Amino acid sequence: MFDLNQAFTALSDVAMTLVVLLVLVAALEAFHYVVFVRWRKSRMALPIMFLTPAVLGLLILYVYPLLWELNVSFTKMSIRYFVDPGFLGLDTTKGSIFVGFQNYIDVFTKPVLPQTSFYQLFAQTIVWTAINVFFHVVLGVLLALMLNRRLRGRTLYRALLILPWAIPAVASLQIWRTEYNFQYGAVNQILDLFGVAPIPWLSDPIWNFVAMLITNIWLGVPFMMVLTLGALQSISQDYYEAADLDGASGTQAFRSITVPLLKPILLPAILLGIFLTFNNILVPFFINANNLTSSDILVTALYRAAFSFTRYGFAAAFAFVIFAILLVFTFFYVRKTNVLKGALES
Amino acid sequence: MRRLSTLASLLAAAAVIGTTVPAVAQDPVAFTMWTKEGEADGSFQFVQKLAADYTAAHPGVTINVVNKSVENLRTDFLTTSIARQAPELLWTVSDHVGPFTASDTIQSVDELVDLSTFLPNALQSVQLDGKTWGLPVSFGNNLMLYTNTDLMAECPADTGAWIAAAKTATAGGNYGIAYPQTESFWLVPFLGAFGGSVFAEDGSATLDTPAMVSALSFLKDLKFTQGVMPAEADYAVMDGMFKNGVSPVDPNASLAPSATPPPTGVAASVINGDWTAGAYADLFGDKLNICPIPQVTGADFPKPYVAGTYLMFSKDLAGDAAKQAAVLEFAKYATDTPQQLEMVAALKRLPGTNAAFNDPIVTGDALLSKVAAAAAMGVGTPGNLEMRCIFDAMTTGIKSIYTNADADPQGVATQMQTDYSNDANCQ
Repeated sequence: MFDLNQAFTALSDVAMTLVVLLVLVAALEAFHYVVFVRWRKSRMALPIMFLTPAVLGLLILYVYPLLWELNVSFTKMSIRYFVDPGFLGLDTTKGSIFVGFQNYIDVFTKPVLPQTSFYQLFAQTIVWTAINVFFHVVLGVLLALMLNRRLRGRTLYRALLILPWAIPAVASLQIWRTEYNFQYGAVNQILDLFGVAPIPWLSDPIWNFVAMLITNIWLGVPFMMVLTLGALQSISQDYYEAADLDGASGTQAFRSITVPLLKPILLPAILLGIFLTFNNILVPFFINANNLTSSDILVTALYRAAFSFTRYGFAAAFAFVIFAILLVFTFFYVRKTNVLKGALES
Repeated sequence: MRRLSTLASLLAAAAVIGTTVPAVAQDPVAFTMWTKEGEADGSFQFVQKLAADYTAAHPGVTINVVNKSVENLRTDFLTTSIARQAPELLWTVSDHVGPFTASDTIQSVDELVDLSTFLPNALQSVQLDGKTWGLPVSFGNNLMLYTNTDLMAECPADTGAWIAAAKTATAGGNYGIAYPQTESFWLVPFLGAFGGSVFAEDGSATLDTPAMVSALSFLKDLKFTQGVMPAEADYAVMDGMFKNGVSPVDPNASLAPSATPPPTGVAASVINGDWTAGAYADLFGDKLNICPIPQVTGADFPKPYVAGTYLMFSKDLAGDAAKQAAVLEFAKYATDTPQQLEMVAALKRLPGTNAAFNDPIVTGDALLSKVAAAAAMGVGTPGNLEMRCIFDAMTTGIKSIYTNADADPQGVATQMQTDYSNDANCQ
């Protein structure tokens, strides 16, 4: 039952935290003003005043936890060594728990989960990412091309197609998971209308992976569509008119005008899509309701290693391995595609 | 510039004032209790009422009661313990003793409370390394068979009779038997029926055994050959299907946290725990029968794990004497005879203290005598950390049995043993 007192207490706690944060930021800005404006009379005073709160926030919320995680990755912190690791676990209440690079070695040489090796998970993640990004791009571009025309009800279609992106992912994933139920889910009931036998979406390894793909494609297409639509609308119609005058077909115009002019937008978007899909924990976590090992990807295995199997040191090392994989990939991708060329030249 | 200067001065003044305002006086004592009790069977509401009654009688105490699933309670307690933000008190199951003692996040209760008032059998499940790690609130936590007497009139004498009765109730989306197919807790009784156990006498894990293969074969046969179980069922589906057998349909049937939509079929019998006896009794009235899980034809009676629910104290609590004293007083209140009997009346669970267990309210209650009879068939739940690894290994295995008609029970048992061996926490 809704408890007004409890709700008020919770809201009061949040409000108080916000007030404290505002006061601290105000104090910081006042300090900067006095030092950089009144005293030093620095030209950089305004940029410093704007950037400092954000930089501090990043340091506290990102950099410090990352450094702590790096620290933990060199220890055997786990359920049996559940202590504050201190510096590299060298001196804890349970003695030294420092293991050097052993956790990093174990990622590649020992099962990450009881039944699964790193290599299997890596392969599953590659397949997961490749299929998702392919369909995100193809369907996103296709829908954007269709919406870029004169079309009755275009605004309504656009709103409906953006809906998967607008709904909080956790809520929509809960609904998808219930609707994949073998007996009572809407998906199988709709298939039944077409004479298709019910599919064990949640219990069969292959169909569960397909269910994850369907859900994530549904979630990811709007993002690509919106980006592509924006890019299409920025392409001058003069190019198409000139091509038309020269007798180019629609396909030729698409290949020679649309694709090259979409590239500066699509390439970074694809890179972002790869990151988001590679590290997507939500969809596999929710749709893989039965913890099938065939549906695990690197990040879900990481989560389970950390919180189900309480292998904190190992999981920290695992996280950095995943980070390194994406870093190497980004390096080669950026070099090959020159995706940052425009930004660096401006 | 002058305006900016004025604004900056005002902001600076506000910052100074904000840091020098005297702190608001704190509440005398406030603590948080996490409980695994859920709303679906009314047990969470009981815990909330217990806390509310206590705070009404002790105005200086504030208790924040939070519900968490058993799994989330375990993982979240460990996570918050790292950050020193753990709740002070837990109301949870005995198999959390293993991970919480291994991680040194709970404290023993031997020096805190007189344990002679509690049921020795209940204390057994939370005793490790010569110490006791929790106070029993209830005893049992065991699985038993619930039947809808409209659909399954008598307690089946054995599984042969059970399956025969189940078949007559299986048709058109209705099933004779339902229980969660996603949790290894429901595998354990049948392992016991075939003479198996998860640990040998020397403490080594024994999952790849003929008894385990027999148990897995039996359960696979029950699902795929006898055809008396739904294709997929988690806890909420089982619960919903059983409650659907009551007319009118329980409007709360769909509220249990679930990965499924409300089931529309009816289950004639379910294997569920004593924690739901009260809720089912209220719903079914005299149409409810409670039985021990039927003897497996050609084998023994299933041996479900017996334990209870326990109050466990965070290790960090020891650093705050006033708060620890307050938490302890509440724990004593919660396990005192009047409150224990109130729990018996509300939830139909066996109490965890001697005085309440021997009270005529318990001994003279027909329903509770059946619950006690079912509990008597069980075996104590091991509380060591290795039990966590056992449950994890069995969970993966049992899911593959229920989702794959071609699964090889021997292969699954061997894989369970391998999974246990590969679990770094138990190496």
